[in-house]
Order: sequence, then C-alpha cells, then structure tokens
Amino acid sequence: MVNRRELGKLGAGLVLAGLAPRLATAKDSGFKIMMTPKWTGFPYFELTGDGAKAAAKELGDTLIYAGADHADVSLQVETLQNFVNQKPDAIILAAIDLNAVAPVLEEARKKGIVVTTYDADAAVPARDMFVNQLSYEQAAKVMLDAALIDVPEGGEIAFVAASPTSPNHMAHIKIMTELTKTDPKYQVFKVVDTQFAGDDDAKSYDVAVNLMQAHPNLKVIISSSAVSAPAAARAIEASGHVGKVYATGFALPSAIKRYLENGSQKAFAFWDPFELGYVAAYETHMKLAGKFDPSKVGATIEVPKANATFTAGKDGEVVYGKPLIFTKDTVGKYDF
Amino acid sequence: MKDDRTKRPVRPQWPAWEMTLAALIVAAGVWSTTLSPYYLSLDQIFGSTRFFIIPGLLALGLAMVVSLGEIDISLASTVAVGTVTLSKLSMFGVPIGFAAAAVVAIGALLGTLNGVLAARFGLPSLAVTLGAMGAYRGLAFIVGSEVGYTDFNDSYRWLGATRLFDDIVPVSLLAFAAVAVAVWLLMHRTVFGRYCFSIGLNRDASWFAGVNVVKIKICAYALASALAGLAAVVWVGQYGSARGDNADGSILFVVTAVVLGGMDINGGRGTIGGVVLALMLLGTLRNGMGLANIGGPTQTVVLGVLLVGGVLRPAVAAALARLRRPDNADV
Repeated sequence: MVNRRELGKLGAGLVLAGLAPRLATAKDSGFKIMMTPKWTGFPYFELTGDGAKAAAKELGDTLIYAGADHADVSLQVETLQNFVNQKPDAIILAAIDLNAVAPVLEEARKKGIVVTTYDADAAVPARDMFVNQLSYEQAAKVMLDAALIDVPEGGEIAFVAASPTSPNHMAHIKIMTELTKTDPKYQVFKVVDTQFAGDDDAKSYDVAVNLMQAHPNLKVIISSSAVSAPAAARAIEASGHVGKVYATGFALPSAIKRYLENGSQKAFAFWDPFELGYVAAYETHMKLAGKFDPSKVGATIEVPKANATFTAGKDGEVVYGKPLIFTKDTVGKYDF
Repeated sequence: MKDDRTKRPVRPQWPAWEMTLAALIVAAGVWSTTLSPYYLSLDQIFGSTRFFIIPGLLALGLAMVVSLGEIDISLASTVAVGTVTLSKLSMFGVPIGFAAAAVVAIGALLGTLNGVLAARFGLPSLAVTLGAMGAYRGLAFIVGSEVGYTDFNDSYRWLGATRLFDDIVPVSLLAFAAVAVAVWLLMHRTVFGRYCFSIGLNRDASWFAGVNVVKIKICAYALASALAGLAAVVWVGQYGSARGDNADGSILFVVTAVVLGGMDINGGRGTIGGVVLALMLLGTLRNGMGLANIGGPTQTVVLGVLLVGGVLRPAVAAALARLRRPDNADV
C-alpha cells in the first residue's frame, strides 16, 4: 500500500516535473556567446572583444573571441561556420562583406542561434540586431563639431572619402554638406571639394597635399576614414601648413596622439570601442534571456555600466551613439 | 660489382612525401579530435571541405604553372573578375550553363594573356603576374561595384551551395574531385604533362628536343586561369556575393598548398596527388584549430612553418640520401 506521505511526495514531484521545462526555458545566464571581429589583432577590435568579455563575465556567460588575423571574407565565413558547429547560444560579429556572411548566419538563425552584428552590419534577414556605433547623423555632427574646435570662425572645408561607392562615407558627406547649409551652428563652413583616397595611407597623404594646393583658403580636411584623417594630419605637418589647415574626422587616438600633443592638430572624433563591445554583448545576453526584443521598434534596454538606455529602431538596429571627441587633454586617456 | 649496378633495373620510387602527407593527415585528424569535441562528425568534416574547394581549384591550376618553373599569383584576382562577370550575367538572366562557360572562357583568355607575356616575350612570370594581379583586380572593381551584387538566381548558387546525400556531401567537393582527377591524368598520363615537367627541368633541352615550349606554357597559364573561372562559379554559389575584393589575399594559402604538396618551386618535379594531399592536410589542420577557436596569428604561424618545411624538404631529403649512400656520391 502506498501511504499518504508518499502520495504527497509523488504529487509534489509531478508538480515539479511539470514546472521543470518552463524553468529551463527561463534560463537567464550561462549562455555561450561566440564573437568574431573583421580581423583579430587590431587594437580597435581587440578592445571591442575585451568589452564583450567584461559584459559576459558580469552576466555569467562564456564569451569566446576568435577570428583570422586579416580581413578576408572567406576566412570570416569559415570562422562563423566553425562557430555554428560548436552550437553556441549567440554569435556576435563585425561583417566584412554584408552579403557573403548571410548564408552561414541564416543557417545559424535556423538553428536558433541569436545573431548580433556590431561595427559593420550584415544583410538584415541574416541577423537579429545590429548594434550601430553611431547613426549617420551623429557621425556627421560629431565630425563638424570637431572641425569647429579646430576653426571656430569657420571657413572652407573639404572631404576625403574612401570611394564614391563607400556607403557610410558618402552618407556622412551628404549630411555634413546639408548641415553647412541649413544648421546655423555649422553655417560658418563652406564645402569646396570632395576627394577619394581608398582608405590608403599614401594616397590620402597625396590627396591632402593636392587639396591644400588647389584651395589656398582651405581650413579643414574632414574624413570618415580612420586611415585618411591621420594621413591628412601628417601631410599638413610635412607641407608646412600647421596652424593654417587642420585635419579631423574619425581616427584612432593612437594614430593622432602625436599631432594633438605637438599642437599641430586640435580635435578628432571616435567612439569607445570597449563600451561598444560591452553593449553588444549585454544586449545579446538580454535578447537570449528574453528581456529585450530588438525586432520590436521602440523596445528599450538599459545598460547600467554604459549609463544609458538604448532603443531598438527599424530593422533591429540599436544605435549605441556615444561619440567621443579627442583633444590634447583627453587623448592620453585612451589606449587604442 | 660496377656491372651489377648498371644492370640493376630502375627501382620504382616510393612516393615518400605523399606517404608522409597521408600520415600527417591522419595525425592532424586525431589531434583535431582531441582539440575539439565538435570535430568528429561526418556533417562537420564534409562541411569544412567547402572552404578548401576554391583555393583547391586555384592550387591545381597553379601546380601546372609551377611544374614549368613559373608562377602565377594573379589567379585570385581572376576569381574576382569571374564573380563580378557572373553578377552581370545573372542580372541579364543568362542561364547558368552559358554563364559558367563564359566565365571559364574569360578566365582562359586572361590566362592566355599572362602566358603570352611570360612565354612569348620571355618576361619573368613573377613580374608579369604581379602586374596582372593588380590589373585584373582593378578590372573586377570596374566591372563590379564595392556595394556588391547578391540577387543571384538559385541556379547560380547550386554548384557552391548544395549538399547531396542527406545534405552532407557538398556538390563543390565532387566537382573538385573530378577536376583533380582530370588534372592528374593531364599531368601524369599525357604528353602535355610530360612536356610541362620536362620544360620545368630544362627549358633549352626541351626546345632542342622539338617541344613547342611557348605553346605549352601558354596552355598551362590558360588552363590555370580557366580553373580560376570555375572557382568563381563556386564562389558565387557558396557566398552568394560578388564584389571586386572577392578572394583577395587567398594566394598565400594556395602557394602553401602547392609547395607543401611537393611541387618543386623551380619546376620539373612534383605530383598532383601530393598537392591534393597537402590541401587535405591544411584543411584538417585549419578545421581543427578553427573549431578549437585557436587565434588567427597562431594558425598563420602553423601555416608558415609548414610552408618553410615544404620548401626545405627536398634539400633535407637530398642531404639525407647522400649521407645514407656515400658510395653513390661520385656516380
């Protein structure tokens, strides 16, 4: 005969058994997240990796950061395929070619893996969210703000982009040009030229020299390319235009520290890669834990460490949007 | 004694290097199993082979050129010309059969150009193909755009994306196997192949023996670039993307495979079987290290060490042979 106490145990057991699957799906830590940048070994990407690792550690997740040592899309796809085969809960990547990574990412999503892009997006159907460092608008404004630090009274400005088909550079230039016409704050500037330097150091240098010769009244050379902006600074110094012409735009602090410290340049812009990586991993974790749904426009997520609340926009894009301006006084704080 | 030796029939040479490579592949597989619990799965291993089809096709082509004692480093750029051409053909709705044939033909044409410059005008192949590498890459950027093209018709994707037999065996792997057999037959069982190796060993002697050196060389360059065209068809299927920068930077891996496979970089010696085995070895190593999330720099060091090993091997083997049989040194 089964006594009453044993029946009670059985009942409790059944209740627990019924609850168990629901408890398992409500898992909110211990996720396995795998991350690959465009390429490893570059200080900027290493810092995004460190930031993501910091977030994972706090949230009780495992984060694995790996990838090829140069930007090669077939190697990146191979890395992603290796990730998928290791059955992680989520993948975070900075895509080299937004379309070439799509097939393997779609395979990952079919297997229930959450896919987050940061820094450079993949095709929209291939990922759950894109943690964008800066919106085009923000990028345009911060570069013009830096130019205002260089030359508060304004004057002629020229742009250096990678190529006419480089989407973000061209969007920045279009918005900056509009702002110089419409926004009173930036109307002191007059756009006189746009040149292309293919993200190439030597070519950027030549282009900067040519711009200064072609426009004797030129005040600022602005570039969204972290290669071209420092090269323009070097060209200004080498051609004896210090104090007459300034370079600005996006640049790694390590690349322009020297010019800020010797006074030949005043300001450059960027964002905090460590925090960008942190936010990307944090948001990915919250998506896995069911606490953040980037597919819903207007969904918000608070990231205490970043001291900010982010909002999901169209197509799962979450703008991180915290630009930084480096000057002589602040550049020493950053080690990338 | 001396007479005995001259009468002794030619001993069949054991393909010692191929045997070594085969043993290394097994060792690499075992090592990979210990590196990662995800390695040992048929689906995984077959899936990983897809990443070696494109460099593999280039390596088979390059092996033909290297057998002549020449080099072609423009092959990766030719792949990009192929992918962007395919994107245009797909845009105009050209059937894949015709498009693939056209791209292979364009590859052959670009290769012929290399061959004419290198063989007919006697220019150094490294210089010619270095120039071609830049020129063809530029051409690819002009034809395509940096934004790229992705709306490929499903039939264009079949060769690179499909996996047969329960979604396990990639079609591209079967295509690679067929090409490998064809190249092996061509290089080791036809007069053309024999001429290639003889030119690589001694160009002048071959010429005096009546070999049309220029024609053979041009053919080898054309075939190598035609295979790059085929690689472009696989690329489009596998990645669904065509841009001017496709396959940029992959040539180092291709050269590594050819040299590690036992092709003498000075020409005249080597086997296609060795190249295929080298590809399998490199593939197994990369797959295992990748699954274990070993960093890119470490992987590059391993590849580099293998490349140096491949280059040093003939010298070391010759030195060992001399040590072992000092009586033959003066023959």
